[in-house]
Amino acid sequence: MGQFELPIESSFSAMDVDGGGISTASSLSSSVPPPSRRKKALYQFTQQSLPACKPVLTPAWVISTFLVLGVAFIPVGIVSLHASNSVVEIVERYDAECVPDAYKSNKVAYIKNGSISKNCTKLLKVDKLMKAPIYIYYQLDNYYQNHRRYVKSRSDKQLLDGLQNNDTSSCKPEESNGGLPVVPCGLVAWSLFNDSYIFTRGAVPLKVNRKNIAWKSDRDHKFGKRVYPFNFQNGSLIGGGKLDPHIPLSDQEDLIVWMRTAALPSFRKLYGRIEEDLHPSDLITVNLTNNYNTYSFGGAKKLVLSTSSWLGGKNDFLGVFYIFVGSSCIFISLVFLLLHLKDSRPCGDATFSYWNRKNVSL
Amino acid sequence: MIIFHGDQVELARVMKEEVKKDLKNCLEEAQQYFRTVSGPKLTLVIDGKCLMYALDPSLRVMLLNLSLNCTSVVCCRVSPLQKAQVTSLVKKGARKITLSIGDGANDVSMIQAAHVGVGISGLEGMQAVMASDFAIAQFRFLSDLLLVHGRWSYLRICKVVTYFFYKNLTFTLTQFWFTFQTGFSGQRFYDDWFQSLYNVMFTSLPVIIYGLLEKDVSASLSKKYPQLYMEGIRNSFFRWRVVAAWAFSAIYQSLIFYHFVTTSSLTGQNSSGRTFGLWDVSTVAFTCVVVTVNLRLLMMCNSITRWHYVSVGGSILAWFVFVFVYSLIRENILYVIYVVMSTFYFYLAFLLVPTVALLLDFIRQGVQRWFFPYDYQIVQEIHRHEPDDNTRAGALEISNHLTADEARSFAISQLPRETSRHTGFAFDSPGYESFFASQQGVYAPQKAWDVVRRASMRSKLKAPPLPPKK
Repeated sequence: MGQFELPIESSFSAMDVDGGGISTASSLSSSVPPPSRRKKALYQFTQQSLPACKPVLTPAWVISTFLVLGVAFIPVGIVSLHASNSVVEIVERYDAECVPDAYKSNKVAYIKNGSISKNCTKLLKVDKLMKAPIYIYYQLDNYYQNHRRYVKSRSDKQLLDGLQNNDTSSCKPEESNGGLPVVPCGLVAWSLFNDSYIFTRGAVPLKVNRKNIAWKSDRDHKFGKRVYPFNFQNGSLIGGGKLDPHIPLSDQEDLIVWMRTAALPSFRKLYGRIEEDLHPSDLITVNLTNNYNTYSFGGAKKLVLSTSSWLGGKNDFLGVFYIFVGSSCIFISLVFLLLHLKDSRPCGDATFSYWNRKNVSL
Repeated sequence: MIIFHGDQVELARVMKEEVKKDLKNCLEEAQQYFRTVSGPKLTLVIDGKCLMYALDPSLRVMLLNLSLNCTSVVCCRVSPLQKAQVTSLVKKGARKITLSIGDGANDVSMIQAAHVGVGISGLEGMQAVMASDFAIAQFRFLSDLLLVHGRWSYLRICKVVTYFFYKNLTFTLTQFWFTFQTGFSGQRFYDDWFQSLYNVMFTSLPVIIYGLLEKDVSASLSKKYPQLYMEGIRNSFFRWRVVAAWAFSAIYQSLIFYHFVTTSSLTGQNSSGRTFGLWDVSTVAFTCVVVTVNLRLLMMCNSITRWHYVSVGGSILAWFVFVFVYSLIRENILYVIYVVMSTFYFYLAFLLVPTVALLLDFIRQGVQRWFFPYDYQIVQEIHRHEPDDNTRAGALEISNHLTADEARSFAISQLPRETSRHTGFAFDSPGYESFFASQQGVYAPQKAWDVVRRASMRSKLKAPPLPPKK
């Protein structure tokens, strides 16, 4: 059986046989050397007599905490919401309309047929002033980049080392093709998005900057500067776009952006930047090539033009929730205040304890 | 008065009948007392010889009924076996939790028969201590053992167990909500090392410190208000209602973590317009989980020492240090935390998400404390303005100054432990031999070594044994 030694908390009289009392104690304490700081700390720990702060949650604390939270959160929410509202966004779904009428009933056949032209033109109308830089995203819906086998199917080591790396077993089935290894291997790279967009405003083409769209840490540390695509997308089953074998992976920004697998089935990825302002009532013509097959699984493709604030894109969620939480905190603190004024249990009144309320006798 | 010669069986039968009659009379008398509104407190005194017959299976029930009706029962001159038998009778018959305390070898069977056995170490030897669950040095420490340490122990165990389930439930449910959006493919939301180290590094130390050091009220107040012990008897802290409240809190918090972090990650995240990937989002969520779960522990504490701050702060710091280092090593997580921390979104989310997650618990705690307070909370409020009996101004000062009380206490702990001069033999004290002998009517002389031993003991502590009767 385990034993538990009760710490001796009581005074000197515990061991006192003859009732020496205080006089014996003082003589004893003067003869014993004062304990070292470490011993004292250890003694306090084992005797459970550490100095402690004992917070008691009184109504005053509750009300003031909620009030402070409310007062702090509402301005933050207003600022965030303002930032989000200042972002102008144009979203245009194009995969449904960009199929020629003849193939509207069999879109999969259309997309797989290499001989049919995939060019499509759409018109975008700008409602509000969009200040440069304007970011171009492609948004995919119902596309599960977060599927377990998809996320697994890549080799980060190979992205850094290239053909020297032989440990690509996680990339199956896109590991090798025709006996030769594939660089970059895996389903993630194989399914590279390959729609392209060309923008013109009236007759003037809008220059799209496709550099610097990936995170800098990815370009510098995750993708090798001396690794080139090899034997890529050479099989019978084409999953997505092809890569230029003369450009090293660290400069293939489309691939880098695509390979940062998204968290949710509906996601956006950065395509490029327009460095000019777009004025209200501008008409932007988009010549896009509808190459990517999202018809087989009921996915959707959207083109997004969006400005950006210090907080990022158009997302009201943070701002709205800060304001919501802030105002509910203020509301709750008012409710508590009313309850406190109306009907409060006096603090520290023993008549509310269980033993008094139930008349339990001991 | 009947005098028997020799027939022991007949003697036993007659004695049993007498005892039975006596017991019945006592029981009726006790019940009559109880019918009056404010009856006096009753005590039953029974000695070993009578108990020998009263513990007979046919009379046992009556004895138990009578004992339970009395405030206290004194059994004197009982043998160790009878002690154990009485304890078992109450344990099994009344279905109560029993505690036995004793200091000698004759108490060993009683200590082992009860639910909780307490042995007193000291002059009678270490036999009782070796057989017991708890050892104390003096009888009066029993009140400390029950009212202070027993109560704290109950509180600590309840809170540690429920908190442990809560923190793991919160963490696991965030992954669960993710599965709905991965096509049920089983993709993990967090990196595997995050998951492995969650319970080991990032949330383990605070709960250990809590389990060691938590006190709802101080020791002196625990003894001043023994009614607080009722909370343990009523099992106030570990009912299904309490567990369900924690589980609900975990579900709510996991929903907040998952949805708040993922919903706000659809668009570009900073002024450069770049978007987050899976590992970015999950790192933000994991940071929020670790911080929230540790702060929840602080919310739960009734007494916060320096070690609480160190362990909670240390755990959160350990997480950040770990993820900073890990992001430089591991391929798929490479630089994720640096990317994430370079956006304003992270800091805003880091402020909002734990606050919203803890808000419900804070409201619940406020409402519970205000409208449905536990007894210990009322005691805390009564004494909230008194200075802590352990702290003094400048407790963290470098000097070694102790108060007189502390100095005495410390000096005692430095004294060499008293070793018993006894060999610890059971049944070697003269009391038993002469007791059994006197029953048979035989005079047994005292042994020489026994006389010497008794003479060498300290005079104050043991009364001279009764001389054997004819």
